[in-house]
Amino acid sequence: MSTPPNSDPRVDQAAVTDESLLAVHEKILGSQPDEKARYKLLPLNLLFIFSGLIFFAGTYMNRYAGRFDPHIYDENLKSTKGEAVAAAPVDPVVVGKKLFNNAACNTCHQATGLGQPGAIPPLVASEWATGPAERVIRIVLHGLQGPITVNGAAYNSAMPPFGRVAGSGFNWSDDKVAAVLTYVRQEWGNQASAITTEKVAEIRAKEGDHKPWTAEELLKIP
Amino acid sequence: MTNAPTNAASAEVTAIDSGARRPLLLLLGAALVWLVVSGVLALITSIQMHSPGFQADCPVLTHGRAAALRETAFIYGWAANAGLAIALWVLARLGGAPLRALNWAVIGTIFWNLGVAVGLVGIATGDMTSFAFFQLPRYVQPLLVVAYGAIAVSGVLAWSGRRTDQTYASQWYAVAALFLFPWLSSAAQVVLLWAPVRGTLQALASGWFTQGVWACWLAPLALAGAYYVVPKVSGRVLPSYDFAPLSFWTLIFVGAWTGGRHLVGGPVPAWIATMAVVSCSLLLFHYLIVGLNLRVACGAEGTGIKFIRYGLAAYVLGGVLDGITSFRGIALRTQFTLISDAQEQMAIYGGVSMMFFGAIYYMVPRLTGRPWASALFTVGHRVLVTSGVTVLLISLFVGGWIQSGELLDSKIPLADILGHLRIWFLLGSAANLVILGANILFLVNFCQSACVCSPIQASTENLFRQPTALEAPVS
Repeated sequence: MSTPPNSDPRVDQAAVTDESLLAVHEKILGSQPDEKARYKLLPLNLLFIFSGLIFFAGTYMNRYAGRFDPHIYDENLKSTKGEAVAAAPVDPVVVGKKLFNNAACNTCHQATGLGQPGAIPPLVASEWATGPAERVIRIVLHGLQGPITVNGAAYNSAMPPFGRVAGSGFNWSDDKVAAVLTYVRQEWGNQASAITTEKVAEIRAKEGDHKPWTAEELLKIP
Repeated sequence: MTNAPTNAASAEVTAIDSGARRPLLLLLGAALVWLVVSGVLALITSIQMHSPGFQADCPVLTHGRAAALRETAFIYGWAANAGLAIALWVLARLGGAPLRALNWAVIGTIFWNLGVAVGLVGIATGDMTSFAFFQLPRYVQPLLVVAYGAIAVSGVLAWSGRRTDQTYASQWYAVAALFLFPWLSSAAQVVLLWAPVRGTLQALASGWFTQGVWACWLAPLALAGAYYVVPKVSGRVLPSYDFAPLSFWTLIFVGAWTGGRHLVGGPVPAWIATMAVVSCSLLLFHYLIVGLNLRVACGAEGTGIKFIRYGLAAYVLGGVLDGITSFRGIALRTQFTLISDAQEQMAIYGGVSMMFFGAIYYMVPRLTGRPWASALFTVGHRVLVTSGVTVLLISLFVGGWIQSGELLDSKIPLADILGHLRIWFLLGSAANLVILGANILFLVNFCQSACVCSPIQASTENLFRQPTALEAPVS
């Protein structure tokens, strides 16, 4: 359609009627019944632009919103979550207690550390638990099976491997192994030395994926 | 409507227009008076920028008060009245039925303008509030909301009683504006005037309101007129119209979230400014679609469409500039300089007011049944006001650019910076003088066109050509 000339500046001529203006534009929006199925798809390039703007907005928000914290006024503040955890000193006894009681050690040894008479050896005042670090680390890392004598009583059961070794269902890091051992050695009146992560790492490197230990093997280690 | 004309002109000028004539001309007349008042005040404030002694001894016209008076007369006097007239008319035309409850509209108009007048006296005598776009003293603010509601009733009835289920972008924008101003104003009144929130929250609420007035009230009113006039005059289907609803909702949802961009670097949590930056970026989609939709204005002829073309360019360009200057690194340079003023003028004068002018030029001959009284004044107003606003924007942008560079240099004394800006302030005063003259022409032209109260002449048949049906695009 050609635009009719609008020569008089005092009157703007209308080219189209209101009814057709409504009808044609409503048709474009596709909200009118369209029996001939002539709906058009939205142009992709504009959708891409819109999506691009939303993507930019989301990314920018994530980077500069200061975690929506009302106390953060500097938009350039980097997330401090990871650093804070690494920097804060961790009490191995607290971590160890959590690990011990989290459906791991306490299932057999009980939260009291007394074990089950005749089946599971106690940890309280046990010459093994408070004994040489070399032995307890190996027990927790690789597990233990076969007969063992604790506090004069004989037991014969199996303990699974907890360390990050082959066949372990727990895959505890050296940190966790050290923490849980420290807890066991300093809880319930036990007063043995703490176990360090370095020591655990050293033994794990030395023994690799050893199969579960027996009491006999362990007694040979000083 | 027993005498509804069936002649050739019936499709273009009907009882819808003649019935709404007096109430809408009342709104428009009030708007134009306030526009001239605001123009006088704009001239005074801009003279004070380079000659600070001007009217400095007159307490009513000290710079702070004069600036608040200018802004208030412009927003609540000119833009509100004009925008409401356009919105009501567009809703009536597209609704296909004469406006109802026009008595309410007339009473609302009288009380609205009385409220604005009392408010201006209040500002002049020292009762102004300290919030941008919201300086009216609190004792008139509730009256304004009620009066606005009375005017809006007509528009809402026209919308709810429309003859077809089909709707068009103009109607969405008009109805949104009718509903959103009372919400913005009443919410802002509660948190800023009646039960003021404390500290930083006030700055936040104020920023929200300022941007809300722009994005949820003035811009929709202007777009309601532009979306109507452009296809009517150009006779073409709007391209990319499928995206118009998305563009509309982007503006309504995201618009007021841009309020925090005034608070970049301010004492607010980082996420508020970041949210505003992101919202400004998302709004780019709205500006893009408005530009694409209404680009058919470029090929069309007519006084109204020429204004709308200018308004559209300023609107889209202003939106892009808002997006760019909201980023912190750039806001550091542009905040608190004339560039902020330039952006505001670009939005409310270059964008909204120009689109209002365009819609008014299209609308008034249909209301009065006569062409505009003077072709010379019509063309004169258009040439003068567009060139005046262009020069004003250039002076503010260039002056602001110089100012922003020098303000960041601590070695340059403030007095020197103002000295360097003097030429741009002078240019701004000249521009304001031209704009004032242009708008006086507009007011005179309007009075001559509207005040001869005779029924629609028989010559409307010859005045308006019979419009044809819009052809659907070939898909």
